[in-house]
Amino acid sequence: VIQTLSWSAVGLFVLGVFFVCLLAARRLHLARREQRRREAEERLRPFALALVEGVADGLAKPGRRDRPILAGLLERYARHVRGSPRERIADFFERAGEVEREIRALSGVRAWRRATAAYLLGAMGSHLAERPLRAALGDPNRDVRAAAARSLGRLGAAGAVRPLVYSLIRGDIPRTVAAEALLGIGPAALVPLRGLLVHPEAEVKTVAAELVGLLGDAADAAALHDLLTDTSAEVRAKAARALGRLGAQEAAAGLRVALDDRIPFVRAAAANAIGMIGDHDAGERLLALAREDRFEAAQAAARALACVDGTALLAAARDPANGQHVAEAASVLEVRS
Amino acid sequence: MNESSTPLVLVADDDADILALVKFRLERAGYAVLAASDGEEALRLATEQSPDLAVLDVMMPKLDGYEVTSRLRQREETRDVPVILLTARVQEADVARGFEAGADDYVKKPFSPQELGARVQAILGRR
Repeated sequence: VIQTLSWSAVGLFVLGVFFVCLLAARRLHLARREQRRREAEERLRPFALALVEGVADGLAKPGRRDRPILAGLLERYARHVRGSPRERIADFFERAGEVEREIRALSGVRAWRRATAAYLLGAMGSHLAERPLRAALGDPNRDVRAAAARSLGRLGAAGAVRPLVYSLIRGDIPRTVAAEALLGIGPAALVPLRGLLVHPEAEVKTVAAELVGLLGDAADAAALHDLLTDTSAEVRAKAARALGRLGAQEAAAGLRVALDDRIPFVRAAAANAIGMIGDHDAGERLLALAREDRFEAAQAAARALACVDGTALLAAARDPANGQHVAEAASVLEVRS
Repeated sequence: MNESSTPLVLVADDDADILALVKFRLERAGYAVLAASDGEEALRLATEQSPDLAVLDVMMPKLDGYEVTSRLRQREETRDVPVILLTARVQEADVARGFEAGADDYVKKPFSPQELGARVQAILGRR
């Protein structure tokens, strides 16, 4: 038994030494590979920068083996630039056949490869990828859908606004990814979003109102104002918030009416918006809400009163009957001033 | 102030790719470029070399772009160095904070190298 145990111990020791050597060799190999990649990047950087600036014509083109490293470098540069440099990067990837290859990979078998392709197509910046990426929003894998949404945002694909909004509502893609993509599309998303403000489904209107509030301008106040009387409380609340963000003075009368909405969170949203707009005429009603309403609406009303009429708020705070929200908002106002 | 005839521009960003892009554009436009990868290094180079202009990233390690701008404004030798902030933060409050710190202009990320070059030229041309 002792001899068997001794041999086992020796065997385990040898095996341990072997694995340590294997790990060390692997680490060395990876470090060397990384070093070679860094050196290649340094060598290719002048060409990549010249290509971004559109002055690469006279320079020697990198060999086929260097293509993946050059593509990685350009993909990183593409994240930081806009305008003609980005177009030149997209053009490079199109000419090199990389865009076509990644579009083909979007219909591959392995989900990780499809997700990688969706991500890379956004980084390459080619508008040829818009249609396949829109189709990828219906991919069975959530990671692929999220990568496609993100890339559509990076491409500023206005044509993807509707499918992105529907994907967001269905929960096909994470909410933050969808929101970031839609905001990434920027003002170009406004035309389709304005159309969605009159969509029959309340959820669609809710998302559209929120985004129009973030991306829109004064011209959107009228359409948002109409939503203050929508049958859905969520839509009314989002419309009120959006009007506040846009600073839509012309919506002040409608927002004052919304202070009497039967749903507390709509009243709170209207109070917030009035505070952002700075509607002086709402002072009395805000004080009444701050004194009598439920927690969220009362707190919002007191804070809004601090914005529209700080003197009235400080005077009201001297009377304890006006409640804790008035006192709290007055204290904050005093500290800030 | 830089004595040589070639204007000296300090560029600070912790992202090596952005630093390379900005440096390449400005050097092509005929400027000498000093590169820094964090706020402290930017402040040190600005004090030692007196650049004609500084292009600063807002989110940098050690000292952010606002802080560097503010300290440049406090020091006698760097008080008049124009500052362009390069920032992904373009909310009204962030822009206002940059101007309050003493920045002369800001460029939004992702940026157009051409636009940045034009702004640098516009500021230096006025001086």
